[in-house]
Amino acid sequence: MSMSQEEIEALMNGAEVIEDESGDEKESEEVVETAPEESSEENSTDEATEENLDDILAGIDGIVDDELDSKIEESVPTEISSNKVEAEPSIEELIDANQYPLPVKTENKVVNQLNEVADDSEEKASQIFDVLSFILDENNEIQNYNKSMGEFIDSQVLLLEALSKKFPNIDVFTTNLETGKTLLEASKNLSAKVDGENNKVFEAMELMQYHDINRQKIERVMAVIRKLNSYLNGIFEDDNEKPEVQIAKHISGDSNDIVGADDIDSLIAEFSNEG
Amino acid sequence: MRILIVDDSSTMRRIIGNVVQQLGVAKEDFDEAEDGVVAWKLFQEKNNYDVVLTDWNMPNMNGLELVKHIRTANKTVPIVMITTEGGKGEVITALKAGVNNYIVKPFSADILKEKLDGLVKG
Repeated sequence: MSMSQEEIEALMNGAEVIEDESGDEKESEEVVETAPEESSEENSTDEATEENLDDILAGIDGIVDDELDSKIEESVPTEISSNKVEAEPSIEELIDANQYPLPVKTENKVVNQLNEVADDSEEKASQIFDVLSFILDENNEIQNYNKSMGEFIDSQVLLLEALSKKFPNIDVFTTNLETGKTLLEASKNLSAKVDGENNKVFEAMELMQYHDINRQKIERVMAVIRKLNSYLNGIFEDDNEKPEVQIAKHISGDSNDIVGADDIDSLIAEFSNEG
Repeated sequence: MRILIVDDSSTMRRIIGNVVQQLGVAKEDFDEAEDGVVAWKLFQEKNNYDVVLTDWNMPNMNGLELVKHIRTANKTVPIVMITTEGGKGEVITALKAGVNNYIVKPFSADILKEKLDGLVKG
């Protein structure tokens, strides 16, 4: 099994382990498990560790020693020496480290994201419309029931009016007539309330036009991005077939650390002594 | 009355369909199309629409092209453009292409009812 660069770095530093960024937990766990043992033997078995390392390196196909050394030197961050297990960096940390925006993948492309927003919004708007249509249909049912009840109550009121006139001494006719009139009024009120509710539903349906308007605004932004992309590609296009030159990392005048003449002299002296 | 509703937004088609139903048009008396290509095909196949309500900006074939196609085959069918394009220039372009009336989104149901009534009576 080939090892990741992180595992190699962890082995080289004894107990230091970096969390696997690719999310390969199994491999990370293996490193975490083996690291403390090596750490405990670190001081006493330096030569043995070196031998192990050589064996490991020998087992890795396609990696030349010098190349690996240089990679390790470049990639070992200073934090590793502090024996910390690092957490996955947050978006804020990535922004600070200039590693944001996210890599160019299909799901991260701005136009794709906007398109997805427009499509999702269309789907949800359709679902909202279903709900509103359901309310309208139910209200129509309520109105139909209410109409039938109203017609029946109306006929009963007429009947009770006739009966109470003919038999004014029978209280039940008068009482039921009053109740019938009250129910008739309630039925009319119910009908008015349902009508009012329907009007509000129609109003909501009208307002849903803004979904279409907003979708078209998103499409306009997408069109601008596409044109901008085309323009920027054109203006940054390199017609010169000159091979790319390796760029300098530290140039005089940069704000980052630049070694001075004294520093260089002391470094030379230090390394000369070691040699 | 047979109506053809053309809009790439399904929500807009439903909103317009709802208004049309409030005017007393049965659901089976109007057809929907999501772009000009589908609408033009339906128009040729059925050739019995009393009114066409179309959006402007749509994929495949836009509303303006649809109007031009319809006008080559039928000079009289009333066409109403219902669109977000609210510029004076766009309104003139649409009228020149052959639309009878023009509604800018968002619109109220009353406006559409009024325009349809005018077209049907006129």
